[in-house]
Amino acid sequence: MKNRTQSRRPRRQSLQADGDGAKAFDRLYRAHVDRIYRFAQRLCRRVEDAQDLVQDTFLNAYRGLGQFRGDAQVSTWLYRIATRASLRQRRKRKGEPDRELSLDEFIPTSDGEFRLQIPTDGLTPEEALESKELRRAVHQAIQKLPNKYRVVLVLRDMEELTAKEVGSIMGLNERAVKSRLHRARLFVRRELSARGIAESRPPANALQRG
Amino acid sequence: MRATPRVMTTRQTSAPSHHGHSKAQCIKVLRRLSAYLDEDLSVSICEEIRKHLGACPNCEVFVTSLRETISLCRCADIPSPSPSVKARIRREILKAVRYH
Repeated sequence: MKNRTQSRRPRRQSLQADGDGAKAFDRLYRAHVDRIYRFAQRLCRRVEDAQDLVQDTFLNAYRGLGQFRGDAQVSTWLYRIATRASLRQRRKRKGEPDRELSLDEFIPTSDGEFRLQIPTDGLTPEEALESKELRRAVHQAIQKLPNKYRVVLVLRDMEELTAKEVGSIMGLNERAVKSRLHRARLFVRRELSARGIAESRPPANALQRG
Repeated sequence: MRATPRVMTTRQTSAPSHHGHSKAQCIKVLRRLSAYLDEDLSVSICEEIRKHLGACPNCEVFVTSLRETISLCRCADIPSPSPSVKARIRREILKAVRYH
């Protein structure tokens, strides 16, 4: 269970004014590494990639400490650095532009498509996520999203930032954030539906509701 | 970001569905579901959507599954890195800073 008591919004601070760079970096690293590590794991397929992303993020942050003037939350600044590094990493690996998700492709054409259900079996989300299979399915569904949709969904629905904050991190207006978010959610819904999960593994009828 | 088309030419139909309304009404609702769930719409539009959901079993199931999807994303926890991983990453960063 996510630690909801952990403060998501540390006080603004001037990193430049903190004097010695290494000390300022250590403070920054200690205060934010857990958050950025969590974010990186949500964005990346493999743990090794997530660790590389954390390293790239804090390395870039170290080099940019002098430029950070405290006019944004430190966490927002780090999310922005991490997001850019992640999009760079993915582009380098895949070498192709993101696929656009059209709203059209998520409009059901039959009653069956309308009635796709998520196999939570009437449990609360926390209880349902005790299933390793469902946890893996959520992670895989998010990983299948094109980059620009995945980052929006992770920042908004998992890191729980506002649409405005996500827009500021990604250089988008709120309308564009909401549009991408809706498509991303519809994509994950379809992937997580009993049908979507069944397509990626042997049938497990017990998980499907009637 | 590409502008959302106002008319959905390929799948939209004005033919009445078996729930007594056209599928176009369902599509209109589906396009706004995230905004509806995020309470990002005016009171009157929310009321319109609530009425539709009450009368359309298909959309009611759809919105439930979308709500569950969002909840699963929100609750999917990630373990924190171990102290040794954090220490290793920090060492790598400081090494990279020294050598560049």
